[in-house]
Amino acid sequence: MADAFDVPVKRRRMMSLTPLIDVVFQLLIFFMLTTSFLQTQALSVVTPAADQKELPEDARVVEIWLMGDGSLRVDGDPVSSAGLADAVRARIGERTDMTVTILAERDSRTQQLVRAVEAAREAGATNVGTARVERLGK
Amino acid sequence: MIEFDEQDGAPAPRREFETTIPLINVVFLLLIFFLLAGTLGETSEVGVNLPSGTIDDPAPPQKVTLYVEADGFVWVGEQVMEPSLAGFMLKDFMKDKDKSRVSIKADQAAPAESVLTLMEGLRGAGVQQVTLLTERGS
Repeated sequence: MADAFDVPVKRRRMMSLTPLIDVVFQLLIFFMLTTSFLQTQALSVVTPAADQKELPEDARVVEIWLMGDGSLRVDGDPVSSAGLADAVRARIGERTDMTVTILAERDSRTQQLVRAVEAAREAGATNVGTARVERLGK
Repeated sequence: MIEFDEQDGAPAPRREFETTIPLINVVFLLLIFFLLAGTLGETSEVGVNLPSGTIDDPAPPQKVTLYVEADGFVWVGEQVMEPSLAGFMLKDFMKDKDKSRVSIKADQAAPAESVLTLMEGLRGAGVQQVTLLTERGS
């Protein structure tokens, strides 16, 4: 009786693994092609008002100018891209409730805008506004 | 006795069979790696080089994503348009959308003016805050 049971068990071991490998390869290729390893970050920005009269005009405003040639200025003084956060921090000091307004000239790029927003946030500013202007005065 | 002879006399087919098992192990490991490490991101048809940034604000998953291409054109839903037209289109587009979860994927070389114009349009459509998506970088 024991011999009679052994025979089919041995036959089952011969089952081919090839279909399994095929399926696993298909799954592997599917996941390789569909996954994305790009990690995006989020930067929250308040939307600007279309009417620029809503921009605060009083003295408690620091302006970051994004010039069309790629340079940056803080209240009209040229600063390097690396020193932007320090320049803004020097202007606002402890008064983090001061408004930082970012004025983008016509040819400025999004990368500059992102850098300016982050610099203002690094400097501790809680109110960061943005606006676009045609051409900034010297 | 006959059974012993069969097992000892035919080792060759079994060895052939066993060489595929390490392969399957490796493929399974790769499969599990891609399953766990990758995020199934929805692939967008808009090619955008995100600007690099350092700040990562905690943000819930975004419901609406608008794109700004490197040439300054804006994607609202399935349509491409000038940023100046987006304000009008957004009023209709955002009517039944979640206004607190809007994100913008802007190319790093896109004019900041286009992004700001789009954000002004969003303000007009009732969106107070948007999320600019950036990539981790220096």
